[in-house]
Amino acid sequence: MAKPREEPKPAGKAKEAKGGKDELPELAEEELSEEDQKLKDDLELMVVRAADADAGVAALAIESLGNEIRTATSSMTSVPKPLKFLRPHYDTLKARLEGLAAGAPNREQLADVVSVLAMTSSEEGSRETLKYKLQGAAGDVSKWGHEYIRHLAGEIGEEYEERRAAEQPFDDLMGLVEQIVPYDMTHNAEPEAVDLLLEVERIDMLEAHADDKNYARTCLYLLGCHAYLPEPEDSAVVRTAFNIYSKAGKHSDALRMALKLGSRELAEQAFANCAEPFYKKQLAYILGRHGLSLNLEDGPAAVEDEELREQLQAIISNTKLSEQYLSLARDLDVMEAKVPEDVYKMHLVEGRAPTGPAVDSARANLAATFVNAFVNAGFGQDKLVTAVSEDEKVHWIFKNKDHGKMSATASLGTVLLWDVEGGLPQIDRFLYSTDNQVVAGALLAVGIVNCGVQDEVDPALALLSDYVSKDDPQTRIGAILGLGIAYAGREKEEVAELLLPLIMDTDLSMEVSSIAALSLGLIYQGTANGDAVEAVLQALMLRGEADLTQPGGRLMCLALGLLFLHRQGAVDATLEVAKTLDERVSRFLQVVLDVCAYAGTGDVLKVQQLLALCGEHIETEEATAWKTLHQSVAVLGLGLLAMSEELGGQMAHRALEHLLQYGEPAVRRAVPLALALLNVSSPDMTVMDTLSRLSHDTDTDVAMNAVLALGFIGAGTNNARLAGILRNLSSYYYKEPTLLFLVRIAQGLVHMGKGLLTLNPYHSDHTLLNGTALAGILAVLLAGGLDMKATLAGKQHYLLYCLTPAMKPRMLMTVDESGAMLPVPVRVGQAVDTVAQAGRPKTITGFQTHTTPVLLSVGERAELGTEKYIPASGTLEGVVILRENPDYVEMHE
Amino acid sequence: MPSVKVEVKWGKEVFKDVEIDTEQPPSVFKMQLFSLTGVPPERQKIMGVKGGLLKDDAEWAKLGLKPGQKLSMMGTADKVPEAPAQQQTFMEDLPEEEQDTSGMSKYGAGLQNLGNTCYMNSTVQCLYAVPELRQSLVNYAGAAAPGLGGDGNHSLTVATRNLFQSLTRSAQPVPPMEFILSLRKQYPQFAQTSREGFYMQQDAEECWGAILVSLRDKLKEGPSGDPVIRQLFGLKLHKSLKAEEGDETIEEDTEQEKLVCNISMEVNHLSEGVKLALRDDREKRSEALGRNVMFHGDSRISALPPYLTIQMMRFYYKADVQQKAKILRKVTFPLVFDAMEFCTPELQAQLKGPRIATKEIEDRKAGLNKKQTLSEEATAGAAGAAGAADGGAAAGGEGAAAPGGGEVEMKDAEGGSSAVAQAQADPGSFAGQLTGKYELIGVLTHKGRSADSGHYVSWVTQEDGSWIQFDDDKMIPRKEEEVLTLCGGGDWHMAYLLLYRAQRVPQLEA
Repeated sequence: MAKPREEPKPAGKAKEAKGGKDELPELAEEELSEEDQKLKDDLELMVVRAADADAGVAALAIESLGNEIRTATSSMTSVPKPLKFLRPHYDTLKARLEGLAAGAPNREQLADVVSVLAMTSSEEGSRETLKYKLQGAAGDVSKWGHEYIRHLAGEIGEEYEERRAAEQPFDDLMGLVEQIVPYDMTHNAEPEAVDLLLEVERIDMLEAHADDKNYARTCLYLLGCHAYLPEPEDSAVVRTAFNIYSKAGKHSDALRMALKLGSRELAEQAFANCAEPFYKKQLAYILGRHGLSLNLEDGPAAVEDEELREQLQAIISNTKLSEQYLSLARDLDVMEAKVPEDVYKMHLVEGRAPTGPAVDSARANLAATFVNAFVNAGFGQDKLVTAVSEDEKVHWIFKNKDHGKMSATASLGTVLLWDVEGGLPQIDRFLYSTDNQVVAGALLAVGIVNCGVQDEVDPALALLSDYVSKDDPQTRIGAILGLGIAYAGREKEEVAELLLPLIMDTDLSMEVSSIAALSLGLIYQGTANGDAVEAVLQALMLRGEADLTQPGGRLMCLALGLLFLHRQGAVDATLEVAKTLDERVSRFLQVVLDVCAYAGTGDVLKVQQLLALCGEHIETEEATAWKTLHQSVAVLGLGLLAMSEELGGQMAHRALEHLLQYGEPAVRRAVPLALALLNVSSPDMTVMDTLSRLSHDTDTDVAMNAVLALGFIGAGTNNARLAGILRNLSSYYYKEPTLLFLVRIAQGLVHMGKGLLTLNPYHSDHTLLNGTALAGILAVLLAGGLDMKATLAGKQHYLLYCLTPAMKPRMLMTVDESGAMLPVPVRVGQAVDTVAQAGRPKTITGFQTHTTPVLLSVGERAELGTEKYIPASGTLEGVVILRENPDYVEMHE
Repeated sequence: MPSVKVEVKWGKEVFKDVEIDTEQPPSVFKMQLFSLTGVPPERQKIMGVKGGLLKDDAEWAKLGLKPGQKLSMMGTADKVPEAPAQQQTFMEDLPEEEQDTSGMSKYGAGLQNLGNTCYMNSTVQCLYAVPELRQSLVNYAGAAAPGLGGDGNHSLTVATRNLFQSLTRSAQPVPPMEFILSLRKQYPQFAQTSREGFYMQQDAEECWGAILVSLRDKLKEGPSGDPVIRQLFGLKLHKSLKAEEGDETIEEDTEQEKLVCNISMEVNHLSEGVKLALRDDREKRSEALGRNVMFHGDSRISALPPYLTIQMMRFYYKADVQQKAKILRKVTFPLVFDAMEFCTPELQAQLKGPRIATKEIEDRKAGLNKKQTLSEEATAGAAGAAGAADGGAAAGGEGAAAPGGGEVEMKDAEGGSSAVAQAQADPGSFAGQLTGKYELIGVLTHKGRSADSGHYVSWVTQEDGSWIQFDDDKMIPRKEEEVLTLCGGGDWHMAYLLLYRAQRVPQLEA
């Protein structure tokens, strides 16, 4: 498979060395110094002697030839003198070697010398270095130096490839590999070792040679390769990294590798391997952040000590998340509740009337509902929905119309996010309302509050399960989506049992069924769970054309895609089934499955397939608009595939720019969504400009998606420039309620959690992808973006709450072993890519020193600013436990 | 009695060792919790048992309760939120023409252009800015006369009333159909058509005048039945014509509804133009001399209106091209126009009191600072009076503070009359009186080279201080600075009619 980045292969260096030979003729004509002339004469003598009939003389000559070569010191850029002078005699020596019968005395020694000479003298591609080394003495290759080893490793790679294709044995090569790898690993050349092992497909050998001196560089390089490797090698390198980290006792890093592989088994292993409570708690924090819960009662990860188990369980369950988030907010002094106007800042808008219309607009109020929900997310207090309003005449919820009341009530859940104990009692009373919309909203709110937090008594399931079978469709939707959000990524069987019949029941309205499918997709994201897949497929087969062309049909396709999120090849069987479905969903579903399964892999072949799809020209009319929908998904897929690493991301940006210029309307309108996906919560200037331009596009669909995308790229950043752009848009679109609504939503997103939250699905230094978060984002971008008018801007605005699983505090909080906040100085700066860099490069640049807790933006990294404490985790993100450094000595000026 | 002790969590509270009598139904347990928490049983949701929520008819035995098991109770005694009795009305529910997506409808609405009717639209928008006129139109009874016959003034007044009402109500541009029909019926000059059969552009000032004539005829208010238009716009001029030879003077009193600003080569500012227009030199037969003599006339305002209209004489009839040509000269106008210098001495004397009262009130509003400094000055200057003045200021009594401040201000108002003294002592008693100062509330502008072509728009200030440009159906928010650029000197819109509102002595704040 073609890979975008040329790996730093030894072959490259070898070529450089060979480049020297073009200069040789000129050099030869130069006057040689006395010293050089003597060397030259000596060498020539040795060449002659090496062919001597007397084995003893020959042996001596070969020996001294070897010595001359080995001891020659030279700069990296020019060929060592002995090699240069021996160049004309290469063929002589080679002929002499060929003349000797196998097993003849001195043959091996001579072969070694010829092998070294071949480095500069042989024809390119002839691989004579390897050829003669194989004939030479078995044993230490390292005596010929680093450059020789690199060259040899390069030739081994090529040879291996050739022999594998020809199905020849390659045991002799492996013998060399076994010598080279330990040499590389002990000589700061870990990347070369990794490269060689990757070439010969034996990355598993690496583990044995890793020790606590080289593990860090090795694993960093392994991870660096990961993004460019095809399946299954990509997981093999992560697996190796896991083993190496485990061996080095770096449990937190090992656990991250396990999570990267998505393997519960390995995660349990890493957890069990770690005995010390100090580190174990840190592992619990990482698990909590990633949303994976382990069984601590029994099984491999069981914890004996009851007190410790309870503490760990509490950390994994995120029960303290709300508390920690609030202490972060208090520390940063942003507790004061904000109202939508604080975000709109209408007084700053040029030439616009400062106050709104006299009559309440249902749409404006709905927008305010969402803005309020996003801005005050997790703070537990706001001025609209939780405010005690006994004296006030009308509760804010009733200032919303019909379906708006559902979202308004549900916004309680966002405001009270993560606070299960304190939040549920506040929602409780709305469950008794006589208005079905309010009940539906309250149910959804119950689900949202429980998002990412596990409680022993499972309140979400207990409260919501009865409502799933109610008659009123809206109430059902509230309960179903509530369950989906509460148990996103938790693989909860009880919930699946509730949802499966709803998905397959074709008598139900498409809206209810599709939301059930979406919820199931959120709960079982990335599991490829057989029952779930079957249920959704069955629903897609049984539903008629009319149902399938609804937004619900697309939602079901997405649900199926979510089930295969990041599962790569596991999707193949389902893809085949997808081809047999009704043409209205078939192509759409195929592309959705493909892009979801390969999300974040950067798979270049898939990218090319998607680009080909985007290039198709399909004739459509109004009634057959569905024919081009899969193209939009393909565009979105470009972003989805490339979001894992930077180079792929840059390529995707360029590709999208092209699509924007030459693409069909269906392609163009998905470009903003792809840009949003590539830059979640990281408002890059150029992207911001592109989207700002697109937000004025004449194609309303493009403009709407661009506005939404502006919200995504700035989500939770409080970015001032973005806020300005959106304010101007709010005045530009003052006459267009739909666009204005979306501008408001985007404003709410940008100020999400007053700037303390992020939507970025990647965490831990951009290495781990939180599937649940990505699933939530996809639900909004794909379902919303493709049918904006029918969903987000229509009656299904509650889909916006699918973002809650992606909302995470973007903090670094340091705590002591008991979990109490421990403020320490940290340096926060732009992360620097240090993969395969020599020495101890700086990992951050342009840093500032703060005292924890601090906020980290996307692309930023933190390091401790003091030696007084030792962190339990190598990556400083989220909650990190510190302990005092026993070796620390206070410095006095 | 078989019992199990459990732990019940309620929100952030925990009740330990709650005993459950497993022979009694769960409802008994709920009553137990009711006594602990005050949450009525029907509002209790108990979680943590098998099968989700604890049901009232459940059997404890089947739930497999363990001692020390943690249960969680959710529920509050809070009131269930109720929908408001009255259905909330939303903008989206209103008929489309009343939907105000822009938030501008509180400023009125635009007027559709029915074919070269911008002169009329801009006039209507300017007149709409006079709340008293709107009010008196609302009070005007009577429906439109049926058919074409009947009183033209009446039907125009009715049409104006209806148009103003729809401007208030609607959020979408209004088509002034009825109004233009009545206007053209009463004043056929506006029905003039071009050779191609289109209605022609007209002079906005003529339209303004015509509407006022009809309204003056119909709108009467007060016991005397005085025309509302005269009450609002009417000003009185006193003209004295002085003969060049001899000392004969002729005194004349006239009434009119606007001032004129003539534009000559020397005029750069509104007040210069007004002064020029008030001068009136003419040849007149002198009774004393028995022949025509040159009289130098000089008009002075003897009574000021609440609303002052000033017309910029930008158009003049150019005989050679047979059309009204336009003077493009830049003539600046102020946001606050002081009519004092154009008033008769009597009126000037009358205005003095209110003006000083206004100043006094403003000073007082500006804060105690001034008084404080004044009293400090007093302390420095006259030690003897210090105690009294200080005490007065400290007490905050207005009467006591007045002498301290009075001394200083007395110098400004040299030889002040009793009115001046009164103004300082009791500015509140002047509240509501005219001060002779006028603030700009509306500008009718013209763009183009002649009165019967080009484009008319109006710029009107709103109650909240913002300016709106009414360009037919468009309403564009503007700033004060932009309004001041309408002074001419280019091809941009330039002021043709200026509408000023009188500044009155404000109420004294307690």
